[in-house]
Amino acid sequence: MISTLTTELMGFWSEWARPSAGLPTVLWSLLLAVAAATGHLVQRYMGLPKVVGYSIVGTIVGFAGFEGAIWPLQGIPLFLLELGVAIVLFEAGGRLPLRWFRYNPRVLLQSLLEASLTYFGVFWMLHWLGIPDPVANPIALMAIVASPAVLSRVVMDTRASGPVTERAMTLATLNTFYALALGYAQAGLIERAPQGLMEKLYPVGVVLGLSFVVGALMALALRSALRVMSPTSENTSILLLAIIAAGAALTAHIGGSAPLAALIGGILLKQLNPRPWAWPRQLGTAASLLTMLMFVLVSIVAAQADWSLPVASVVLAVIGTRFAAKIAGVAIANPGSGASWKQALWVGCAMSPLSSIALLIASAFVTASPLLGAMITQVALPAILLMEVLGAVLATIAIHGAGESSRPWTPEAFSGHEETLR
Amino acid sequence: MALEPFNQSKALSLGVELELQLVNTHDYDLAPYAEDMLRLMAETPLPGSVVPEMTSSMIEISTDICHSAQDVIDQLSPIREALIRNADKLNIAVVGGGTHAFQQWHERRIYDKPRFRELSELYGYLSKQFTIFGQHVHIGCPSADAALLMLHRMSRYIPHFIALSASSPFVQGQDTQFDSARLNSVFAFPLSGRAPFTLSWKEFENYFERMTRTGVVRSMKDFYWDIRPKPEFGTIEIRVFDTPLTVERAAALAGYVQSLAAWFLQEDPFVPTEDDYLVYTYNRFQACRFGLDAVYVDPASGEHMPLRDHILMTMTQLEWHSEALGATQVLGELRTSVEANRNDARWLREKQGKERMLAEVVRQAALRFRGQA
Repeated sequence: MISTLTTELMGFWSEWARPSAGLPTVLWSLLLAVAAATGHLVQRYMGLPKVVGYSIVGTIVGFAGFEGAIWPLQGIPLFLLELGVAIVLFEAGGRLPLRWFRYNPRVLLQSLLEASLTYFGVFWMLHWLGIPDPVANPIALMAIVASPAVLSRVVMDTRASGPVTERAMTLATLNTFYALALGYAQAGLIERAPQGLMEKLYPVGVVLGLSFVVGALMALALRSALRVMSPTSENTSILLLAIIAAGAALTAHIGGSAPLAALIGGILLKQLNPRPWAWPRQLGTAASLLTMLMFVLVSIVAAQADWSLPVASVVLAVIGTRFAAKIAGVAIANPGSGASWKQALWVGCAMSPLSSIALLIASAFVTASPLLGAMITQVALPAILLMEVLGAVLATIAIHGAGESSRPWTPEAFSGHEETLR
Repeated sequence: MALEPFNQSKALSLGVELELQLVNTHDYDLAPYAEDMLRLMAETPLPGSVVPEMTSSMIEISTDICHSAQDVIDQLSPIREALIRNADKLNIAVVGGGTHAFQQWHERRIYDKPRFRELSELYGYLSKQFTIFGQHVHIGCPSADAALLMLHRMSRYIPHFIALSASSPFVQGQDTQFDSARLNSVFAFPLSGRAPFTLSWKEFENYFERMTRTGVVRSMKDFYWDIRPKPEFGTIEIRVFDTPLTVERAAALAGYVQSLAAWFLQEDPFVPTEDDYLVYTYNRFQACRFGLDAVYVDPASGEHMPLRDHILMTMTQLEWHSEALGATQVLGELRTSVEANRNDARWLREKQGKERMLAEVVRQAALRFRGQA
């Protein structure tokens, strides 16, 4: 009797069930749900930025051998990563105050100095450790980047505002610009070893030029939309996301850099439309989901690195040199820049995070040369994984140290300052 | 604690203080840059002084002793230039106005100074809600008794000052329908409002002593009155003005106060009485709510008339004095704006009507402070 009923039910079930998006979608959805919960708990009970929670979940899943994102990234995962980075960089570009450099060229000098010192410091150190130059060069380029993605999430979590926060964001956006332009161009040359200066500069010009064209098209499209649409409207936010997505896909297709195009697009739009930037509040949950996905993806991929003691010591040397070079670069050009020594120290410290942009540059090198790419990956991925978590913590310490957080450092659960919600 | 003696000052000398907003250039919300601004301003030799205020997105600038409205503008102009230069260096903007249009009080941080920490402990959230921006005008008085007489005479013109300077129609992102909503925040403080009616310094000292004995008051700074005596400077301090959007209008308002004071001293036009205060709060409310469109109740005659007409009438009365003080031009500009029914609150509302975005209104107000809008 029971077996007849079971057979009938199973028969009905098999007819009733329909094809779905499949197991990978279920896994990714659950993964994001766990990451969201972990991010919240990490902030509530440990007082750490939510990004740390996302990265921890991604790392555990990556170490466990989750195959949802295979290194080197390709197809949809690569596009999602590029899109997440593009959204963050478009907003960062819109915050990049070009007129500031006219009134305070010292800030630009700080940027150039910290980026150069980081590049040459890391390159020289790797050279000294016996790492071949074609491997040392991409790693040094990646070290330049101070992730605006991590920094902006930390700023959001701590509700920070002030001179250190603003300057760290500006310098992080600028060094991202340098690293993307140089990184994508050099990835194209990795197997050719150009001799002359022109041969080296030409690809940089091509990457910049192509990205500029797409960025300009994005800025013009949005400028036109803003003539008739309110910047605070939900539809304008959707339009913005759609244009960034189209721009990212187009740039990658024609050989430019999608994140660079978004960054340039943001800068140009701010120049064409100097009205206050109202995007972040409006982009809301959709952008937050994409950026969370980006952090989980980065740590899953970065956890796939081959870990060993010699690699660990190289990674630690890279991280230490990078940290010292960034602080030194900001501090040397600090006199006359309007910031105090203490603020310079905190700005240097706040630029520790390394994340998705470095991963994208690494990905470009691996795609261009699988052989050299494997050697680059060996050092780059652990460094990225470590500095996504540690960098977020250091940036939080810097923001609290500078007194620019509106939230107490104590975990929310124990602070007695519970937020009252309507 | 005894009240300090009323110091000597030159009659009709002037001093102006302006509380200013520091905003970022990204979304034009208030930005905690007071410490950086003060550090940079200290590097430039300037008249007057620049000091911190209650929360870290505010600073206060002040002139040295001035003798005319022209003096005021001559001192405020280089201070403004230095402010703009240093704000550009820090990538922020300086803005006038009595309130920030959309800041959220709970996001403000108390400036790290013992007195501000102490006030914050005492007043709780009121101290953060005190992120409002006013202009204070000091006027030199020949003696302590003359100062009290001047104070109570000036009280009749509080609505005039409020309507002329009103520049705080927006609070926390909403149009309050007041031209000066700032003064509503001041009213929350227990020692705000009007000074006690006494025309004798001896009696005032007595009042102060009784108040200090209660432990509620320790110094004159604890009184948040609309006008208060400032014995250490030998002045009275009028505190009801919203910070105007430009330093030119701030100087013109100082010129108006000085001309009124000259009229009082030279013509003894009336003797104030306690009964003047029967209509004080009503007149004050009318001016805050309706600005130049307010109704003014004459304290002496009880006559009701449009405040705008009364302001124009006083300006006519003051012509001779303003001419003697070299304030004809600035008073002429004020008169023109009153005749056109324009004050800064109206300018802000017009911008919001056109732009439909308060952050853009703040950006344009920042340009106006620079003389570019």
